[in-house]
Amino acid sequence: MATEPYAVDVEGVVKRFGQQAALDGVTLRVRRGEVYGLLGPNGAGKTTLIRSLVGLVAPEAGTVSVLGHRMPQLEVLARIGYMTQQAALYPDLSAEENVHFFGAIYGRVDGVRDALELVDLWDRRRSVVSTLSGGMRTRCSLACALVHKPDLLLLDEPTVGVDPQLRVQLWDRFRKMAAGGRSIVVSSHVMDEAERCDRLGLIRFGKLLAEGTVAEIKSKAGVDRLEDAFLKLSESPA
Amino acid sequence: MSASRVQAITRRILQQFRRDHRTLALLFGAPLVILALLGYLLRGGGEVPKMGVVNLDGGPLGSLVASTLASSKTVSASSMSQADAEARLKSGDIAGYVLLPSDFTAQVQQQRIVTPAVHLEGSQPGLSQSILQSVSQSFVALAGQAGGVQFTPRVVFLYGGPSFDTLDYFGAAFIGLVVFFLVFVITAVAFLRERGQGTLERLMASPLRRAEIVLGYMLGFTVLALVQSAEVLAFSLLVLHVHNVGNVALIFLLEALMAIAAVNLGIFLSMFARTEFQAVQFIPLVIVPQMLLAGIIFPVSTEPGPLQALSHVLPLTYAVEGLRNIMIKGADLTWPSLQLDMGVVLGFCILVILAGATTLRRRIA
Repeated sequence: MATEPYAVDVEGVVKRFGQQAALDGVTLRVRRGEVYGLLGPNGAGKTTLIRSLVGLVAPEAGTVSVLGHRMPQLEVLARIGYMTQQAALYPDLSAEENVHFFGAIYGRVDGVRDALELVDLWDRRRSVVSTLSGGMRTRCSLACALVHKPDLLLLDEPTVGVDPQLRVQLWDRFRKMAAGGRSIVVSSHVMDEAERCDRLGLIRFGKLLAEGTVAEIKSKAGVDRLEDAFLKLSESPA
Repeated sequence: MSASRVQAITRRILQQFRRDHRTLALLFGAPLVILALLGYLLRGGGEVPKMGVVNLDGGPLGSLVASTLASSKTVSASSMSQADAEARLKSGDIAGYVLLPSDFTAQVQQQRIVTPAVHLEGSQPGLSQSILQSVSQSFVALAGQAGGVQFTPRVVFLYGGPSFDTLDYFGAAFIGLVVFFLVFVITAVAFLRERGQGTLERLMASPLRRAEIVLGYMLGFTVLALVQSAEVLAFSLLVLHVHNVGNVALIFLLEALMAIAAVNLGIFLSMFARTEFQAVQFIPLVIVPQMLLAGIIFPVSTEPGPLQALSHVLPLTYAVEGLRNIMIKGADLTWPSLQLDMGVVLGFCILVILAGATTLRRRIA
């Protein structure tokens, strides 16, 4: 474990879709036990970057290493939890059956109860997913990403469509997991969420504009609000 | 009721289709393709059934029947020895033959009743009908010559029998067909749902190997397909009493192979569709031409030549023929024709399994 200084090590990654460069030479590192926020508007390349971390996007240039290994590698995938933007669940199965299925894929069905309790769905475990509310589906989707107790958690806009109360709860859990030594990469375009991350990467047009703690980014831009910092840093390329 | 609101919906639908070129092509292209195929099949100067004439009669009336049959447009008749006719009937080369005995002319002139033996292959009721009709027409000519002759043929069936009807003929093919098409459509739609609801993305980001996904899908749907096959088979044999002289286990084996092929064809073709809507569009493209050309309704041997070549490329043709070989002719695995049918279906299975596994990799990466 000590031989893996970084949970994520992305070096000069380029990926184009047609003429459009989704990632245009992104370099960033996420330390172990860190909550790293990827902040940027829609279409900035956040999802593409996260997908490249699990090998779903093959970079045209640059390297992607996760937990000390060049991706893609199946053994490393077993240690990553990936929560997609859309709550990717089987609507005909119950919450528990969904989590159990993903647990079985990772060979960790022992984590089903923990995962469901962590997202407060243990009491609703027998409910069929299609009958759950949007927020519950998001939590169930998170449970599926957590069931195998991954070392690295990738969350693609996990709090979209989630009410403020639940958002606070979820962030509370993310912080606890990080405290337990897990690394988390979370993408968002909501500024107040970004304030809860250890470090932030501002991404726009496939480029990393700035990186650092919230305080560092604010002072770099010379403003008090993160939102203003983001706007200011977007104008002058870092 | 607001005209402008109705108009808004109408307009929106037309706008959507303008962007969906594939559906447009299907909407306006597929009917022409299917109708053209059907037209060619029925009016394209397809081949008429082949029959033999075994004329042992030395008198003039036997030759008269033989020459009338030879000039018939509804069958292609040729003279042959009885041994030859029997052999060619068994090999499926001819659909039947008429046997004119040595005392044929004498019989007609003395008894005014003719009972020639008509030997029919019997597995294809349509062909049997054509031959019986042509034979009786040839005796109409005879009646004109000899005056007032009663014609009662003695029909001998190689397969099937007098009670063998259209359902017996179609039943054998449909047992396989129903399973093949339903399983294909259900698998294709299920796989697209996996893609659409985002769970496939999740699976691809897990340590699952592509082969594990394809194999897991295959086994899951094969369980369903086998239960369905057993149900269809039991209903056909026990309730509908579809003619069967073959081994039920062999029928089930062939059905199971078709089901596995259908599952993998569904996985493979779902790669070329983005929505469930587009998957359903494969029905007229993949299924209807096979319905017309696999010999299910129209015997392959009576299709126009170029279509016969096409039929012989379709795996379903072999599956249908295999089922008929077993159920109607009682074929077992020692028959070369059934070995060919089974071999082609098995080969097709392996082909679509490999195709499904490779395409899954390419589309995701």
